[in-house]
Amino acid sequence: MQPAIVVAGLGKRFRRPGADRPTSLKETLLRGLRGLREETFWGLRDISFSVPRGRAVGVIGRNGAGKSTLLRLIGRVGRPDEGSVTAHGRIGALLDLGAGLAHDLTGRENIFIAGVIAGMTRAEVQQRLEAIIAFAELEAFIDSPLRIYSSGMQMRLAFAVAAHCDPDILLIDEVLAVGDLAFQRKCMDRVRAFKEAGCTIMLVSHDPEQIRALCDETIWLQQGTLVAHGPTSEVLEHYMAAMGRREAGTPPLDAAEQGAPAAGARRFGTQEACISGVRLLDRAGQPVSLVPGGAGLCVELAYSVAQAIGRPRASVSLHRPDGTIVLDCTTAATGIELPTLRGDGLLRLHIERLDLVAGEYFVNTGLYSHDWTVTYDYHWLAHRLQVVAPGPQQGLLNPPVRWEIEPGPLQRSEPAARRPLKALSSIEQLPEAVDRSPAME
Amino acid sequence: MSAIALRLVHTRDLLRELVARDMKIRYKRSLLGIAWSLVNPLAQILIFSFLFNRVLPLNIPNYTAFVFTGVLAWSWFSTTLLAAPGTIVDNRDLVRRPGFTTAVLPVVTVMTNGLHFVLALPVLLIVLLLGGGQIGLPALSLPLIMLVQFVLSLGLTYLIAALHVRFRDIQHLAGIGLMLLFYLTPVFYSAASVPAEYRLIYELNPMAGVLGAYRAALIEGHWPAPVPLLQALLIGAVVLAAGFAIFRRASARFVEEL
Repeated sequence: MQPAIVVAGLGKRFRRPGADRPTSLKETLLRGLRGLREETFWGLRDISFSVPRGRAVGVIGRNGAGKSTLLRLIGRVGRPDEGSVTAHGRIGALLDLGAGLAHDLTGRENIFIAGVIAGMTRAEVQQRLEAIIAFAELEAFIDSPLRIYSSGMQMRLAFAVAAHCDPDILLIDEVLAVGDLAFQRKCMDRVRAFKEAGCTIMLVSHDPEQIRALCDETIWLQQGTLVAHGPTSEVLEHYMAAMGRREAGTPPLDAAEQGAPAAGARRFGTQEACISGVRLLDRAGQPVSLVPGGAGLCVELAYSVAQAIGRPRASVSLHRPDGTIVLDCTTAATGIELPTLRGDGLLRLHIERLDLVAGEYFVNTGLYSHDWTVTYDYHWLAHRLQVVAPGPQQGLLNPPVRWEIEPGPLQRSEPAARRPLKALSSIEQLPEAVDRSPAME
Repeated sequence: MSAIALRLVHTRDLLRELVARDMKIRYKRSLLGIAWSLVNPLAQILIFSFLFNRVLPLNIPNYTAFVFTGVLAWSWFSTTLLAAPGTIVDNRDLVRRPGFTTAVLPVVTVMTNGLHFVLALPVLLIVLLLGGGQIGLPALSLPLIMLVQFVLSLGLTYLIAALHVRFRDIQHLAGIGLMLLFYLTPVFYSAASVPAEYRLIYELNPMAGVLGAYRAALIEGHWPAPVPLLQALLIGAVVLAAGFAIFRRASARFVEEL
């Protein structure tokens, strides 16, 4: 039998994104021939495999390995620079689900739009309309405009349409996380049903468990090349071993240098740009995990970017164990534009004074795309900070304070006549804060 | 159904839904709805009728019908080309979707704007009947003339849409080019009043041929002269072939450039 997908000697070259490339005709003409040389790199190279009909294949690899590029090329988005991709049959895609939806139109109208975009004819959408609405659990809202839907409802609608177009080949890019847990389970069941019905599936993920749950065989990509292709359990074993070696190879982390937490509960993001380590430093640049109240703090993010990312945004926030945010700094709010990031580097946020009450805090850090729509990496509850300070235990702030008393009849006197109350403000006992009052800042 | 027939049906449905989507989005939340599409040409016609009937009389018979025909057809052409730069750039998520045929998007742009022209035709008919137009058998050539304009606009839309992905200043150039072309095309004046030494410009301008054909069929009441119309069709076909080829070539890189 003819295989469903044949990939032969596939290669895709990308231009290295950067500020050098002119984006207007005017610039191009002004630069003339000087601007014509472009740096390129191979996003994928020498990839060959074939997938028999009805097989579910996982594609695993770290970010920037070329997984999504491979998926799109199979979906006929873009053209390979080398080799070829042949895919037989109707292609369905569980990625970019919201494409083409119109917020001013009703759910019903949007089902038709999303349906034809997904490759169905209007007649086919009409036939499945009731099933789609029922699957999305949106019977009550189907004739309301999409703009009143929550984002979860919109995704449910989009998924329901995509799940009803019986494709011959289904491309999935880690989007099974739609809606609440019950709906996610429903989505997974639907994908399994597709598989049982003989649909060929390609699932891209960096989560081995998701691939193990669904895929018969797995392809492991690393930096655009195919490392292994075989039965899922074998390939995953090799993959995990290789990943484990990487982790074991890094030196153990001390309390102040907590580094990057493992992907999972305390970390999420696409990892296109990684926060590979976080250090908390005092004024002298020494790693600390405990700072006196009123002292300065520097949060240092080590980043690692596989493919250059233009104008990303970074955030550092501090919060209490109960979730109260006491500080939320973003590069955007500070009015800072980060340059294009590539390779490795360090990003530091200097906090002049931490006037916080004593206690335990968490430092959350994140890297995002310029428009905030993509979270590259976010560390959550991963980095602890202990603040020690005498003074109030309640509330949030603990700035230098002083009390003043002015006995006598109620009339304002000259400032010289006021008597400050000495040494009651315990914050003065801290060497950092002794000679610093807010007025001197 | 055979695979080819299914593809055709699907392409038709895709065009239908995307054109309907654009029309609905544009007019959903406005009081006058679709009538808005008439406001702009009507305003222009008022100005031109006043200017060239009263202030600077051009002595063109049935001037209101004459200028209405010209302005409506030109509006289709110019709104299409002004929308052309955004055709790919504004539909990033569709272009990135596996299985989506990007080449339908320029067709949607030309058809959406063409629909405004079609919806304005009843109003044009009224103006023609009141203003001395000669509606007879030659009016049946209207679909053919529209086809010529469609081919020409589509070719230019493919070209502009593809170039704008790479060079983001194309939309400004398109705006300037359209303004120049507006005055070089006999929209509010008659090609007959152009001195002989400049005639060549008009003979090379396919839109001049198209507008002449509309006016012959609707106002003068005779069949359009075949040569200028065929010439416009030929130019349109060449532009379409070239535009589509450039679009095809560029589309391999759309995803990276967006």
